Amino acid sequence: MLEYEFLQAKKIDETLNYLDKYNKVKLIAGGTDLLVEMHKDDIDNDKVDYLLDISNITEMKGIKEKEDKIEIGALVTHSELVKSELINKNSAVLAQGAVTIGSTQIRNRGTVGGNVVNASPAADLLSPLIALKAEVVLKSVNGTRSLSLPEFITGPYSTDLNKNEILTKVILPKYSDKYYSIFKKIKRRKAVDIARLNMAIVSKVNKENKFEDIRIVPGSATPSPQAFSEIEKELEGANINDINYDNLEEKIGEEMVSITGERWSTPYKKPAIGSLLKKSLTGIIKEVKANG
Amino acid sequence: MVKNITVNLTVNEKNYELEVAPDERLLDTLREQLRLTGVKEGCSVGECGACTVLLDGKAVHSCMILTAQVDGSEVMTVEGLEKDGELDPLQQSFIDHQAVQCGFCTPGMLMSAKSLLNENPDPDREDIKTAIEGNLCRCTGYEQIIEAVEAVTPNKEEKGAD
Repeated sequence: MLEYEFLQAKKIDETLNYLDKYNKVKLIAGGTDLLVEMHKDDIDNDKVDYLLDISNITEMKGIKEKEDKIEIGALVTHSELVKSELINKNSAVLAQGAVTIGSTQIRNRGTVGGNVVNASPAADLLSPLIALKAEVVLKSVNGTRSLSLPEFITGPYSTDLNKNEILTKVILPKYSDKYYSIFKKIKRRKAVDIARLNMAIVSKVNKENKFEDIRIVPGSATPSPQAFSEIEKELEGANINDINYDNLEEKIGEEMVSITGERWSTPYKKPAIGSLLKKSLTGIIKEVKANG
Repeated sequence: MVKNITVNLTVNEKNYELEVAPDERLLDTLREQLRLTGVKEGCSVGECGACTVLLDGKAVHSCMILTAQVDGSEVMTVEGLEKDGELDPLQQSFIDHQAVQCGFCTPGMLMSAKSLLNENPDPDREDIKTAIEGNLCRCTGYEQIIEAVEAVTPNKEEKGAD
């Protein structure tokens, strides 16, 4: 049984003061991961004296459009991402990832900040956020710093977040309508399941119908989601009407194995990641053609 | 030493001031303190949806929220659907379409469907399926439940035809 004192902060500053002055503080927002861990007695009681509720901090809610970027408060829920016109217009891949998370009840409660900080290898927002070149903003009493996602995520379930820090927002660059994006996911059943594999692709398609600035980020394929640079090089500059899928499917499988080594899941994941790539690319190309 | 927390909640349109333990879930408060036992505990980990209630109008798992987190919020349970002795049309529709067998999932199903209808009074079949994707039913096979929800939408005749 986990025993703790319950604290609540309504302001970011209040949170930072608690984190500075108190030891063994665990944060709770949407609770969709934490309450499961608590129920299963997965939390070491020696490490938690205080549970600090941050779910009511208004400053960390809402999606804001700035001149050259979009700011997503850490407490924005998955449902809010799915419904946001701004997100669907600028970075559809993120809304497409969010809608596959859990169920309506979980999407209504689970937050962007929680999904990022939990840093699951299968987190459905991480691959889109990496592909979108998002940054996270971290605050502590000592100041503010911004990190790219690859800098922030240091391994499975592990981040660079200091114990006196809090993730306050995620920042996305703004993308022109020359950019296309897509998210695809394989899971055992449609609802309430974690990804066996997922994939986020963001790319510009230029006037000559060629991929430019393409980013390909599979999730659940490597210890943490990361851009696959070999396959990106392969596709950079490729004409959307002249794609050799067989070759690409083979190559992305090889790139995955070059990172993870042969694992028990490789005989399944190697062909699966190839077909996920094909599905994602054909999805983007279909959209490009529909736009004329 | 565990300190309790004082919380103000509006539940089914009534106001309550409650003392809650730091680890008390909304599910526990509703069932144990307010005796609203229509809220069911199934899996306790956000997979079955039996504990679904509306929190400020939206469907949530009451097993995954600490009551202390939702001070000042408005909660609706299945007990709040009935008005002046009259069942909500959605409840009546569940009965009419035999969408209830053992009944354990029913309160959660009703609240998920209610949340959908609050947001979108005219959902299509896919919207209904998405709304109840987090609610497990081991008896009905879902078809009757989907039909029961469809029947209370404005274009029910049209939809019933296909």
